[in-house]
This record gives sequence, C-alpha cells and structure tokens, in this order.
Amino acid sequence: MAKSDSPQPVSWTRTYFRDVFNSGELLWNLTQREVRGKYKRTALGQLWSLANPIAAIIVYTFIFSVVFQVPAQVGDPSGLDNYALWLVCGLLPWLFFQSTITQGVRSIVDNSSLVQKVYFPRLVLPLSLTGAGVVNWSFEMVVLVIALSLLGAFVLPWLPMVALFMLVLAVFAAGLAMILAIANVFFRDLAYLLTVILQFWFYLTPILYPISLVDTQSDRWGGLLGTPVTLGDIYRLNPMEPYVSIFRDLLYHNTWPDPAAVIAALLWALGTFALGLFYFTKTEKRLAELI
Amino acid sequence: MSDPAVIVDDVSKKFRLYHERNQTLKSAVMRGKTSRHDEFWALENVSFDVAAGQTYGIIGSNGSGKSTLLKCLAKIYWPTSGSITYNGKMASLLEVGSGFHLELSGRENIYLNGSILGMSRKEIDSKIESIIDFSGVERFIDQPVKNYSSGMYVRLGFSVAIHVQPDILVVDEVLSVGDEEFQQKSFAKFLDLKKEGKTIILVSHALDVVADICDRVSWIEKGVLQTSGVGADVVAAYRANGEG
Repeated sequence: MAKSDSPQPVSWTRTYFRDVFNSGELLWNLTQREVRGKYKRTALGQLWSLANPIAAIIVYTFIFSVVFQVPAQVGDPSGLDNYALWLVCGLLPWLFFQSTITQGVRSIVDNSSLVQKVYFPRLVLPLSLTGAGVVNWSFEMVVLVIALSLLGAFVLPWLPMVALFMLVLAVFAAGLAMILAIANVFFRDLAYLLTVILQFWFYLTPILYPISLVDTQSDRWGGLLGTPVTLGDIYRLNPMEPYVSIFRDLLYHNTWPDPAAVIAALLWALGTFALGLFYFTKTEKRLAELI
Repeated sequence: MSDPAVIVDDVSKKFRLYHERNQTLKSAVMRGKTSRHDEFWALENVSFDVAAGQTYGIIGSNGSGKSTLLKCLAKIYWPTSGSITYNGKMASLLEVGSGFHLELSGRENIYLNGSILGMSRKEIDSKIESIIDFSGVERFIDQPVKNYSSGMYVRLGFSVAIHVQPDILVVDEVLSVGDEEFQQKSFAKFLDLKKEGKTIILVSHALDVVADICDRVSWIEKGVLQTSGVGADVVAAYRANGEG
C-alpha cells in the first residue's frame, strides 16, 4: 500500500473516483465524437436520426391502426385522438433505450485498442454512448413536441417533467449498458443474444398496443395456475412498462403520471445504475487483460 | 533528496493462460463454470523508486516483463499485488493517436485525443497553435484525419501527446515515429522535457539512447528485477550478460 512517509502520496485506488469526476470533459468530448462522427459527410446529417423512427411510425401505424384496428386512444384530458402520435410517445423512449444498450454492450470491446493503450476511467465509454443517445433522442423529442402542439396537445407545461424522466430513463439505460458492456467482455455472445432479447422485449412492452388490452385478457384469465398472480402483474414487472406509461401520460394525455409507475421507474433506474457502477468498477481494473 | 515521483513497491503481476477459455455462453454451459488455465507471473516482487526529475530507463530482452511493467506504470494493468504510487500527474505515451476518430478533422481530434490523455479544454485552447505547429500538418488541420498520410497521423498524435505536460511521463518506444527530421524534432522536445525537470520513465531497446539519456536504469529479466543503477553501468551489465 501507499507509503506513509511521503507527504500525501496519491495512490491509484484512492484517485479513481476523483478521476471519474474529473473526466466530465472527456465524457463530453467522446459524446460529441459519437454525435458528430456519425453523420459526417452525409447530405442530410443529423436528420438521418429521424429516418428510423419515421419509418417505424409509418409501418406500425398502418399495421396496427389501419389493419388490426387497435382501439382508438383518446388523450385524457388532452383530447388527442391519433394513433400515430400515441405510438410515438411510447416508441421514442424505447428506441433510445434500445440503441443505447445495443451500442453500450459493445462499448468496451469496440474500443479495445483505446483500453489497452491509454488509462482513463473506462466508465466514460458506456456513459458517452448514453449521452450521445440522449442528444439524438432530444432532437426527436423536439420534433414530437412540435407535432403534438400543432395537433392540439397542451404539452409545454409538462416539458420539465418530460426532461426529468428522460434523465431517469437515461440513468436506467446507462446502468444496464455498464453491466452489459462488462458482461460482453466475458461472453462475446451477449451482443448477439441481446438483439434477440430486445425483439421479445419490444413486443412485450405496451408500445404498439395499449396495456388495457392486456388487462382485459388478464381479467378474463384471473390468477394464473391457481395463484393470485395475474398476467397484468407479470406484465408490469417489465421495467420499460412504467417508462412508456409515464411518457404517454405526460406527452399524449398531458396529465400527471401514475405514482406507482413513477416509483417503479425511479427504483429501476437507481437500482440498475448502482448495480452497474458496482459491477463495472469491480471489473474495470482487469479489462485491459481480459479483452 | 526530494520525495520520489514514482514508488514501485513490491509489484507482482499474474496472468492466466487459458487453455480453453469460456468466452462464449455455449462453452460456459457445456463445460461448467470453470475454465482451465495456468498461472504465469509476468512480474515478481519488483520494487524501485524514481526520483523527481529523473529520466529512468527500463531494459530487458523480449518477454522479460518490461512491457507488462510499463503497462502497470501506465495504469493499464492493475498489479496483482504491491502498489505503484505517483506524486504528481502521470501521463503515458504507449501509442500515438489513440482514439482518433477518422471522420473528424485534425483540429477536432486534437481536442478529443487531448482529453483522453487528460488535458482540459482550456489547456488545449492555450496550446493548440503549438500542437499544430509542431505536428507540421497546418494545411490539413481542418481536413478529416482519414485523409492523412500515416506519417501525418502519427506526427499529429505525437504532437498532442508531447504537449500533455505531465509531471511524470511514461513512454514506450514512440520516439521513433515520423521521418528523420521529425524524429530529431521529437527527440529535442523530449530533452526539453528532461530539462524542465519532468520525471520520465522510458522503455526501450535502443540501449545506446538509454545509456546516454537515462540517469538510472532498471534491468528486468523473466519478470524479476536484476539490477538498478546508473544508466551506463546497467546497460553494460545487460550487454555483458547477453554476450556471455
């Protein structure tokens, strides 16, 4: 351990968290690298980040609203009645979450040359991807808020709350990205497995359809296998369910979110981030040799 | 004597040599939790102090563990036991141009690479002219670095790294980048740092250079510190051993 005879020896272990706090600028620069480097030399530039959501909206609206005729979702109290907008309010948070963790899972392995050549707190790798995701997502949200306002929603007073919960979801996504990034160093299958899991996860989250349809089914079935646990209960174990419902309440319905959803969202975010931080810092020291 | 800038205290580093590594889920499930591995000690109980302002050389043959030691000093590897203590800001120069983004311009990459190496934005702002000037790529500084020749790329990378101005600089054999003119320029810059009283730890195969510029040298063989002492003496002992 550090020798005590020299004045204030700066030992490696003790400086770790100081390094993390001091690397805010590095974090910002790496985030900019992700954001700016992505659409360099394209004519439309940042507008491309809207291409995916727009394509998804068109396809899903056609299939679920026109073909399958999902029941009309009327905004209460906003009075909106537009499946496409209702969908987007839930879809954008999901797309942010999905892109953050699919890129986050590779953040260490893809930067292996950097990890093996320079010391810096490795935490900035998954965090900068999350940051870049938030930048893109914010851009999409601005477009969404304009569209909502044009179609009659009174969304502006709710924007501070929206921003707050964007931050909460970003914390959840960052925590999960940290865990996945490390786990992927040990098991390279994970990045591929994750894309499969996300397929299931997406369709099991009430984004394309209202959770009321699930509740109807849940009531019909009652307790599953003789237990008091219903399908609806299992559905609500999904951490993305409360986030989607919060963003819909704020943006589409223009009302306060359900307190239970708020508590669940906060607990998921804090729990996942704490676990991620613990796991990441515990393994970080060995990363250069594990890659 | 003042306090040592770097204290390497009883540092050992163990690696696992995997025969069958469970790096996929399938192998983990099929084989159970354990993967088979041998242990290999790349460094064993290495201790030395580097005084502030010293230029310290580390020599040894290939596979001697000197690169492992260097990576421990650069905080890339974490010692299995023992500790390394720094009195001052440490920066390492193991590779130039780490983290350059090919689509970004030279100027943008100076900021990116500089912050990876631990410089603040303000610091880079004040040094940017000097960095660009030293690199000799002024004309192309606002072009994406993917259009750079490999020489321009390493010169820019080296120029950023040499401007970090740490108290302690850990250097691999990167003094041999660029053409001869640039090498002389970077060697001169290196000597400037030495004159400014920076502590420099250098790992090199160029024994003449080591004997010439290093105040003290450690010789490592098979992960064990053989001897530490005045540069020229240790280099002579190492040479004698190699020839004998």
